[in-house]
Amino acid sequence: MQTKIGLEIHCQLTGLKSKLFCSCGTDYRGKEPNSNVCPTCLGLPGTLPLLNKKAVEFASMISLALDCRVPEEIMFYRKNYFYPDLPKNFQLTQYNAYGITSIGVDGSLQYGDDKVARIRRVQLEEDPGRVVYESGSMEKSLYALVDYNRAGIPLVEIVTEPDFSDPKDVRLFLNKITSIVEHLGVCDTKLEGSVRCDVNVSVQGGLRVEIKNVGSFSEAEKAVRYEIARQKTMVSRNIEVKAETRHWDDARKITKESRSKEEEQDYRYFPEPDIPAITLGKDFVLSLKPSMPELPDARKERFISALGLSPHVAQVLIENKELADFFELTIKLYNSPKEVANWIVTDLISFVDEKDREGGNLLAGLKVGPEHIAELARMVEQNTVNRTMAKQILGQVVRTGEMPSVVARKSQATRIADSSVIADAVEAVFKAEQSAVADARQNPNAANFLLGKVMQLTKGRADPKTALELINKKLRETT
Amino acid sequence: MVTKEEVKHLSWLSRFDLSDEELSKYTAQIEQIISYLDKLDSMPLENVEPVKAKKNLADLRNDQATNFAGEVLGTKYRKDGFVKAPRMV
Amino acid sequence: MQSLYRLGVAEVVQGVTSREFSAEEYIHQLLERIERVEPKINAFITVSKSSIDQARIIDRKIRDGEKVGPLAGVVVAIKDNICTKGMRTTCASKMLDDYVPPYDATVVDRLQQAGAIVIGKTNMDEFGMGSTTEFSRHGATRNPWDINKVPGGSSGGSAASVAALECTVSLGSDTGGSVRCPASFCSVVGFKPTYGLVSRYGLVSYANSLEQIGPLGKTVSDVASVMNVIAGFDEKDNTTAAGRPSYSVDKRPLRVGLVKEFVEGADEQVSKIISNSLDVFAKVGCQCEETSVASVQYALPSYYTIATAEASSNLARYDNIRYGFDMNPEGYEWNTYFSKARSNFGEEVKRRIITGSYVLSSGYYGKYYLKAQQARSILIRDLKSLFKKYDVLVGPTMPILPFNMGEKVDNPLTMYLVDVDTVVANLTGIPAISVPAGFARNGMPVGLQIMADAFCEQTLIDAASMFETEAKVQRSPEL
Ligand SMILES: [Mg+2]
Ligand SMILES: [Zn+2]
Repeated sequence: MQTKIGLEIHCQLTGLKSKLFCSCGTDYRGKEPNSNVCPTCLGLPGTLPLLNKKAVEFASMISLALDCRVPEEIMFYRKNYFYPDLPKNFQLTQYNAYGITSIGVDGSLQYGDDKVARIRRVQLEEDPGRVVYESGSMEKSLYALVDYNRAGIPLVEIVTEPDFSDPKDVRLFLNKITSIVEHLGVCDTKLEGSVRCDVNVSVQGGLRVEIKNVGSFSEAEKAVRYEIARQKTMVSRNIEVKAETRHWDDARKITKESRSKEEEQDYRYFPEPDIPAITLGKDFVLSLKPSMPELPDARKERFISALGLSPHVAQVLIENKELADFFELTIKLYNSPKEVANWIVTDLISFVDEKDREGGNLLAGLKVGPEHIAELARMVEQNTVNRTMAKQILGQVVRTGEMPSVVARKSQATRIADSSVIADAVEAVFKAEQSAVADARQNPNAANFLLGKVMQLTKGRADPKTALELINKKLRETT
Repeated sequence: MVTKEEVKHLSWLSRFDLSDEELSKYTAQIEQIISYLDKLDSMPLENVEPVKAKKNLADLRNDQATNFAGEVLGTKYRKDGFVKAPRMV
Repeated sequence: MQSLYRLGVAEVVQGVTSREFSAEEYIHQLLERIERVEPKINAFITVSKSSIDQARIIDRKIRDGEKVGPLAGVVVAIKDNICTKGMRTTCASKMLDDYVPPYDATVVDRLQQAGAIVIGKTNMDEFGMGSTTEFSRHGATRNPWDINKVPGGSSGGSAASVAALECTVSLGSDTGGSVRCPASFCSVVGFKPTYGLVSRYGLVSYANSLEQIGPLGKTVSDVASVMNVIAGFDEKDNTTAAGRPSYSVDKRPLRVGLVKEFVEGADEQVSKIISNSLDVFAKVGCQCEETSVASVQYALPSYYTIATAEASSNLARYDNIRYGFDMNPEGYEWNTYFSKARSNFGEEVKRRIITGSYVLSSGYYGKYYLKAQQARSILIRDLKSLFKKYDVLVGPTMPILPFNMGEKVDNPLTMYLVDVDTVVANLTGIPAISVPAGFARNGMPVGLQIMADAFCEQTLIDAASMFETEAKVQRSPEL
C-alpha cells in the first residue's frame, strides 16, 4: 500500500516587528480592517519593496534547524497570478532555478522516535490579505470584502518531500516543526492562523491531490485521514483519482472540490527587479549558528544527560517549548528535576482540556506557575503530603492559583502522624468489611484492599506505611 | 509560430477580454514581434551570467515598525473598513 | 514686461532670489503661456493651480530672509507616471483615471525641498509604452516644431512643455529612450542617468530593471542643476547607489568615439548631421574617431523581451479593486470583473502585456528572458572595453526624423525599431544624453546622443556642454 503524503507548511514570522517588505507592523490581529497598511504593502503604483533584514536571518535559522543548505546569495522571484487578496497580483517569493536557490534546500528532519523526513526547500515569502463574506457565505453575498492588514506579513514556507505515509507521522512531524520554530523564537504558533499547511496526498493507483486551506496543524492530520480514506474508497470502486486541488472544509471536516475553476496555472516566475540579489557571504552561516537559540533536540539531550530525565519524559517536555521552559523555571526554584518533570508530564498535563491540547496551548487555561509545582514537589519529597493527596491539591491549585501549602492547610491535608487516629480508622474498616478481612487472612495481598478503605476513610491523610503495619498487626491478632 | 489559442490563453493569464477580431489582430502582431525577438537565438552562446544588481545583507532595512499616516485606499466601494471586491464564486 | 518664461534655471534662481522678479510673477507668466499654447501642443494632463501658492511661499521665504534651496522659483513639469501627493497621477491611462497618490516620489520631494515649484503633470504614452505620445487617454501631444509631427515619447509632454516654454525644466522617465527620444524630436536636452543614480521610488513601474527618471531642459546646464538635486542614494529604493554627487559644467579635451552601427542605420540627413558633429568636438580639442560595437544588434530584441516581461507583471496590479476608476464590483464574478476592468488598458499596453506574458510563460523563460539578460551582460562587457579607449561614445539619438502623427501607430514593430539607438544605455545602465545637433531640410530637429561609462555623468555633462556651446543649435520654436 503506497500512500504518499507531502507537506507545504507556512509559518508566519511573528517574532518580527515589521512586514517583509515595508514597515507596517506584524501585529495585525484584531485591528480595524485595512488599518495596518501602507502604499507598499497595498502595492500602490510607484512603491518599491524594502526587504526586512531580520526576516532573512529568521528564515536562515529555520533552514539551518532543518539541516538545509543556505546559499551564499539569495534572490526573490515574482509568482504571477490574479487573486483579490493579492495587492500586486503577484506574490514575492523564492524559487529554485538556473543556479539560484531559495534560502534553504536539501534538508532533513528527524521526528518521532527514529523517523526522518526530507526537506525539499525553505523559502521566504509574503502573506496575502484576507477575503471574507458579510453573511458568512459566498453564495448569499453580492460582493466579497477584503482586508489587506495581513498582506506582506513575512512567511516561511517549508516544503517536504512526500516522505509520509501515516497521518500520525504527519502530526508528529508538525509537532516537531512547531517546537523548532517556537524554540527559535521566530513564530508564535498559538496565534490564530500563524501556522498553516497544504497537504499533498496520493494513494496507490491514483494521482496526487493537493489540499489547501488547512488552517492549523491539528487540522492537517484530520485532512490527511479524510483524504486517504476518500481516495482509497475511490480506487476500490475503480473511480479515477485525478490530480486536483481541493479545499479543507474546517466546519464539516471534509475536503471539497475547489469551486473556482482551476484554469491551467502558469506562474511565469522571474526575478524581482526591485530587490537586488542579496549576498549573504561565506561566513554568514558560520556567524549565525552560534547565535541560534538551543533547539529541541539539543535540549532533550541535555535534559537526559545533565538532568537525568528519561528519554520519554524529556521528549514530552521539549515537544512543547512552553512546557520545557516551565520545567526549567521550576527546577530553578526546587532542584529536583526528575520529581518536577514527573509532576509536569503526568499530572499537570492531565488537567489540560481537549481544546487547549489541540491548539498546543497547554498551560494557558491553568492558574499554575513554576512556584506551585516547585512547592508541591518539595512537599511530596519531604513527606509533608502523600502523592495521592498532592494530586488532589494540584487539582485545586490549577483552578484557583492558590499555593499548594495553602490548599493543604485549608483541607487539613497534612498527613496524620498520630497512629491512634489511624488505629481507630483500621478498627472501623475491620468492622465494616468483614468478608474482606476474612479474605485477607487467607491471602495477604488482599490487605491492600483494606488499606484503600482506610485511606478513603481518612481522606488520604493517613500515612499508608503506618496504616498497613496496623492492618497486618490486627490481621495477625485476630487470627 | 504564435497561435490564436496561445494568445487567447495569454490574454486569460493577463485577464483581458478580447473580441475575436482583437484576438486575430494581436496574434498577427505578436507573431511578428516574437519572430523579431527570436533574433536572440542567433546570439553566440557564451557563458555569461545574466545581469543582476547585488546588495549586502547588512544594507537591508532594519526590522522596525512604523504606521503610515494617511489614507491609502483609493476606492469608494468600501464597507466597515473593508474593500468591496467581486465575488470569488 | 520681460518674457520671463524664456529663462533658464540659473536666471530664474538669480532673478527670484535677488527679488528682481517674484516667483509668483514668473509662475503667472508660465500659466498664461500654458493657456495660450496648450490648445496646440497638449503637453499637460493636469495643470496645478496650487503652484501659485507654492510660488508665494518661496517669495515669502525670500522676503523674510529664510534659506531657500538651489532651485528656488524654478518651475518643473512632471511626467504623469511620477507620483505627486494629492495630485492626480494617471500614467495617461483610464486604469488610473481617479488615482491620487498618498505620497510624493523621492524626486518630487527633493525638488520641492530645493525650492522648485510643480506646475503640473505632463502627457505621455500610456504607462510609458510608446515612442510618440500618441497612446494617451488624454489625446496626443504635438511637436512644437510642427504640430502635425509627433513629439517623440514616451515623455512627449515633458519634452514639448520645455520646447514650448511652458516650464523651466521637466522630469521624464526613460525606459528605452523615453526621455532622449522626445528631447531629440523637440530639440531640447534630455538626460538618462546611470541606473541606480536617481531614486525610482514613486515612479510607476513599466520595466523596473531598465528605467530611470531623468530631467529635460533647454540647456545642459539646466539639466545638470536638476541632477544635482535629484541624484543620489535613497533608502526607499534598494537599487540606488551610495552617495550624493554634484556636477558642474567644465570644458576639457575628451576622447570621442562615433558608433558606426548607429550612424549606418540612420536616415541619411540624420547621419550627415551627426557625422558633422565630430567636427564640432574636434574644434574644441577632442580626439574623434569611428568605432564599432557589434553586439548592439542584440540590444533591441533583448530590450523588448525584458521590458514586456517586466511590464506584464508590473501592470497586473491594476485590477480596479483598491484604486483606479469608477466601476462598482458588486454583483460581479471576480474574473469577469478583472477582465472587464482591465480591458480599459489601451491597445499598445495590452499588446506589450501579452507579449511579456508570452516570453515568461513556461518553457520560454530560457529562450527569451534569460537570453535577453545574457545579451545585457555581453553588451556591458563590450561597452566597458570601449570606455577604456573613449571617454564618450556618440551617435544619433533617433535614427529617423520626427514623423507624422498616426504614421506608425498601426505597425508596432516598425515603431519599436526607432528605439534601436537609445535602448543600449538602458540595457547596460550607462548614462546618456540627447543634445540638439541641428535641423533637417524640413526644419525638424536632430539630436546627438552621447553616452559615458556608468556613473561618469560628469564626463557626459562636460562633453554635452562643450558640444552645445560650439554647435549653437536653436532651441524654442516660435509658436
Ligand atoms: Mg508559497
Ligand atoms: Zn505596509
